[in-house]
Amino acid sequence: MTTALADVTAFVLLLAITAYSVAGGVDYGAGIWDMLAGRGPTAERARQLIDHAMAPVWEANNVWLVLAIVVCWTGFPLLFQSVFASLYPLFAVALLALILRGAFFAFRHVQSGPQAQSRMGIVFGISSVLAPFFFAAALGAIASGRVALGEPNISVWEACFNPTSISFGLVSLAATAFIGASFLVGDARRFGQPDMVDYFRRRAVISTAVLIIIGTIALAVIGLENPHLLNAMLTGLGTPFAAAAVISTPLVGFLVWRRIFRWYRLLSVVVVGSLVFAWGFAQSPYLLPGQLTITQSAAPLGSEVLLSIVTLAVVVLVLPSLALLVYLDQRGELESPQA
Amino acid sequence: MHLLTLFAAESALLPSRIQMAFTLAYHVILVPLGVALPAYTLLMEGIGIAKKDPAAIRIARRWSVVMAVQFAVGAVTGTILSFEFGILWPKLMGRFGAALGMGFAIEGLAFFLEAIFIGIYLYGWTRLRPRTHFLLGLALPPAGVLGTVSVLASNSFMNTPAGVTLGSSGQVVSVDVLGALFTRALAYEFWHFLIATYITAGFIVASIYAVAWLRGRRDHYQRLAFAIPFTVAALLTPAELVVGDLSARALVADQPAKFAAMEVTWKTRSHNPEVIGGLLNDSGQVNFGLSIPSFDSILIGLSPDTVAPGLTSVPASARPTIAEANITHLAFDAMVGLGSAGVALTIWYFVVLLYRRRLPQSRWFYGAASLAGIGSYAAVESGWVTTEVGRQPWIVYNLMRVSDAVTSAPGAFVWSMLSVLIVVYAIIAVVAITLVLKLARRWRQEDAIEAPTAPEEGAPYGPRSEILPDSGSARERQGISGTIQTMAIGTVLAFLGFGVLILLVIALSLVGLGAVMRRSVRVFRRRPSR
Repeated sequence: MTTALADVTAFVLLLAITAYSVAGGVDYGAGIWDMLAGRGPTAERARQLIDHAMAPVWEANNVWLVLAIVVCWTGFPLLFQSVFASLYPLFAVALLALILRGAFFAFRHVQSGPQAQSRMGIVFGISSVLAPFFFAAALGAIASGRVALGEPNISVWEACFNPTSISFGLVSLAATAFIGASFLVGDARRFGQPDMVDYFRRRAVISTAVLIIIGTIALAVIGLENPHLLNAMLTGLGTPFAAAAVISTPLVGFLVWRRIFRWYRLLSVVVVGSLVFAWGFAQSPYLLPGQLTITQSAAPLGSEVLLSIVTLAVVVLVLPSLALLVYLDQRGELESPQA
Repeated sequence: MHLLTLFAAESALLPSRIQMAFTLAYHVILVPLGVALPAYTLLMEGIGIAKKDPAAIRIARRWSVVMAVQFAVGAVTGTILSFEFGILWPKLMGRFGAALGMGFAIEGLAFFLEAIFIGIYLYGWTRLRPRTHFLLGLALPPAGVLGTVSVLASNSFMNTPAGVTLGSSGQVVSVDVLGALFTRALAYEFWHFLIATYITAGFIVASIYAVAWLRGRRDHYQRLAFAIPFTVAALLTPAELVVGDLSARALVADQPAKFAAMEVTWKTRSHNPEVIGGLLNDSGQVNFGLSIPSFDSILIGLSPDTVAPGLTSVPASARPTIAEANITHLAFDAMVGLGSAGVALTIWYFVVLLYRRRLPQSRWFYGAASLAGIGSYAAVESGWVTTEVGRQPWIVYNLMRVSDAVTSAPGAFVWSMLSVLIVVYAIIAVVAITLVLKLARRWRQEDAIEAPTAPEEGAPYGPRSEILPDSGSARERQGISGTIQTMAIGTVLAFLGFGVLILLVIALSLVGLGAVMRRSVRVFRRRPSR
């Protein structure tokens, strides 16, 4: 009973991380393009589109992060302790980036004028790069087996910054820019801005190529450092997801390049989701490779039952409301009524 | 160089405590408005709908914007707090996460619901029929209550841990969900804090319009916006005094060292004086302060013979230090003093209201009322300091010390993080306050020329203003209100079920409060045995 529930809880944790990677990815990706937009009237138009597209849903994304945290510390207390004891520098930076970003975005409207806007844009852009990089680096550090049970047994810096963690971080950045560009193509279409459609199409195609290159390099690095993990990704439980990512990535680039505006957003979600799933399933049943399995780390039955109830409530109450929000947004119903 | 090495070698305990205290104190400022402002806004909207009063609707709409601004800041500072449990206190969560984490898991759920319904409430002003909008808004107060009860469940576990079985190395091996969630302290912590949020939100809102009165604005709008929140808060203030008194007395049995620190009692004794102000010194004497003979004993058990616990009844290693005891004591006195001032203001208000049958007209009254908001904040902060510092040196009472829970990260790391956080929090505060002041100025100007606009536009959770200069403006707007109405009704139905849950929570708390009272009475009757 405990084991089965612990597996469910572990899956919920993986789903929360995936949801954050996808929803946060769209969001951070837009921030990255905001930063890379440069100067000039085209850049201004791109920034306006980004600002406009992100406004209503940015806050909802943090929901997944908070969910991942509470599921982790209630469901797998020992995992939570070990991960934070070894990787606190990564989380501290990601956290600061996240709050700066949230604060600056929420109150962007206080400042007006292009100068203030671009100042905000810099903070916004830098934090959009730092947060996904450092969060993904933490996953990479876990995957590399450098997080010790309980207190760290190697230097914290070595646990945080190593070839695997940096590869994870870079793949995450590329994937973030990729999914961000793909969704901005959709937003430009939705807001009826043909020039912006082309602007973000180019960026989506370029970031597809970058993602493929960085992904290949990262796989090589993981293979050198951690043959077990690569094996599990290529021939184990992670295989279907790795395959899905490998197939979907070029497909998105192709669809957007050929102006076939169908399925490309869904497929880019599939890409990011499969990357996370490929990692998660490849290292199961271990939460900390070689040291701590799901069953070993599971909290007592009572806590797992409560978590299941909360998860069920999230599914019943939060998902429909979130769906309503996204639906209204996509229908353009969240625009100002006076317009 | 010497200073630098000293700095780097230092343990993370002190900066971690400072950082937690700082971020919590900041977050607590946002909580009262987050929990209670929706209820005041709905009350105002309800009045507006029932009496067909456009001014009331306008007030409610503007409050909903402030609600969204402060909720956005609270979401940020709340996310930081959840990370801090890992960054600063990993061993606490490693050992007690299975029990302590449950409350936070429920709070996570409440937080999602609040975020989503605040969004719907803000968007709904122009899109929903008034009645539907109001009904949907009714989801907000219970979501706030659920959040409050669940966070306090975690805090109560730290004060009166229960419902867990510990293994040989102190780790949690089994959890009784209800026992760990509804620990003894929850009964009084919940009511004490929930009422505090409603009082604080009411007074802080009213104090803004008290200032407006002092500046000469005395129209229907100002009277309504002042009187409604002030009356509710004033009605609740005496209740808070009673619940606060029960909470303090429950501590005699639950956490005697905390109670002794609050009253700076050194030795357990009967005929214990109530010391107002004053500082305990290292030899256990109280310097300065006003001492009322036997009054503490009378307050505990209605008789001067009642025994009051002293700090020395607990070994020195398991009780607050002298400095911590003094902080606890002064914070407690500040809270009680401010609470009593609130009661005095309440009496003044109701005497005028009942005998003159009108709102007070005196500048003195509005001067005092304009301070009531800040006073309530100070009281909430003091109460928080009392309960947290008074629990020292324990992070989980009698089970885990703060020093055993702290991260093994170098002190310099936490000091740096703390410095960055202080800067970031200062920026957030400046930006949020600027935003609210800007909104206030805009609304005043609009009222002066009688040209109100949609206030929620451009707010953090509000509809976006149309900013794209050359977007396809001919975009068609399909009729969606039917869908919204259906979903709205569905949501309300879902919340009816949810409401039953809340009622259950409240009923359980009442039972708990009853049990506490019964036990307290037993404690009071105990005569001195030594």
